[in-house]
Amino acid sequence: MTVIDPRVQEALDGERDPATLPPELREDYARLTGAAALLGAAPATSVADRVMAQIREIRREAPAPRPPNWLLRPVTFRLRPVWTLAVAAAVAAVVFLPLRESATPGAEEGVAQFVGHFPGARSVEVVGSFNDWQRGALALRDEDNDGIWHGAVVLPAGQHEYMFVVDGERWVADPLAGRYVDDGFGAGQQNALLIVRP
Amino acid sequence: MTLLLLLLLQSPHARLEGRVPTAALPGLDSLIEQAVAESLPTEPLVQKALEGGAKGIPVPRLVNGVRHGLVQLRDARAIVSRATPARASLDGDVAAVAAALARGLDPGLIERLLSAAPPPEPSPGEPPGPVLHAAADLVAHGFPADSAAELLRAAQRQGLHGTRLLDVAVAASHELQREGGRTPVEALARVRAMLPNVPVASPPHPRTVTRRPGRGS
Repeated sequence: MTVIDPRVQEALDGERDPATLPPELREDYARLTGAAALLGAAPATSVADRVMAQIREIRREAPAPRPPNWLLRPVTFRLRPVWTLAVAAAVAAVVFLPLRESATPGAEEGVAQFVGHFPGARSVEVVGSFNDWQRGALALRDEDNDGIWHGAVVLPAGQHEYMFVVDGERWVADPLAGRYVDDGFGAGQQNALLIVRP
Repeated sequence: MTLLLLLLLQSPHARLEGRVPTAALPGLDSLIEQAVAESLPTEPLVQKALEGGAKGIPVPRLVNGVRHGLVQLRDARAIVSRATPARASLDGDVAAVAAALARGLDPGLIERLLSAAPPPEPSPGEPPGPVLHAAADLVAHGFPADSAAELLRAAQRQGLHGTRLLDVAVAASHELQREGGRTPVEALARVRAMLPNVPVASPPHPRTVTRRPGRGS
């Protein structure tokens, strides 16, 4: 269970000047306010944006290949109107179906946000009951290499147990979860517990 | 969604194959068959087995962990049956009570919380998960179990239900952590005085959110 020192809590609540905290608590205060700021702020770019930017960069660097002649020859399609409708429907399905997988939670869903402080880690992922404890399904990000890894995901409302897996091998219960449950395997290890609100 | 449904329709054996050591499969199959025979929910057991497989838990401990889960489900159904005899026990209710037992909540307290829903029931069939988690949160923060239950009952009487009860527990722990030597009893009294206007937890920022990675993806 993570317990915040009451003096830090007062500083967080604005009831105490953070400068009056002892040095060791000032560090806690700075870490908590940093994490809070991170929770409230969106990253400058999404993963998709950065991947696309890199692809565009590669395209710019590569010499433009000359297209084969058959690509430059004009081609005439003859299409019956009824097929036009079918093609339009197919295009719409391809374009719009992925939008249904957007990040807007449904009525029985909510947003789960994960933040972990793992300085020096090469990878951090979240594994839990919401993804059948399958590895590789939800990776956290640390774009600015400050050791704070984060990610958010839409999940069904309700209870989910989870763990962080650091560098692919170290299982860690989220120190900021606030709720924990014994994993039942007899070694006294605990899973973090997340309750997603609709 | 379709993928999720297809995966859920898979037999437990098919879901566990390749995800747990082969040597564990007969024991796990047997435990899941017992759950089916007793009309207990099997999903918590499948999840526990998948978790053990992912963590690389040795076979005897893995099977024991799932067996422990089966025992908790049996205990949970007995509690639900005693607390709400007029209602058929739903899988979700049994699983929620089993989760509360796993969090260390006292069985007697669970039974009191389930049976003490304020009449008339706020919304018949309201899942018991939130009130049980709120109680477990309070107990984990050092509040006496009976006082915690009394606060939650007071909150329900004031019209708070579902996940709003979790806000009651959060408010109590905040009160406890304030400087000035506030005792648990004083903290509970302050929250009780706030009811039903305890602060609402703010939702996470939605802009950076991705959709849930599919099961088994």
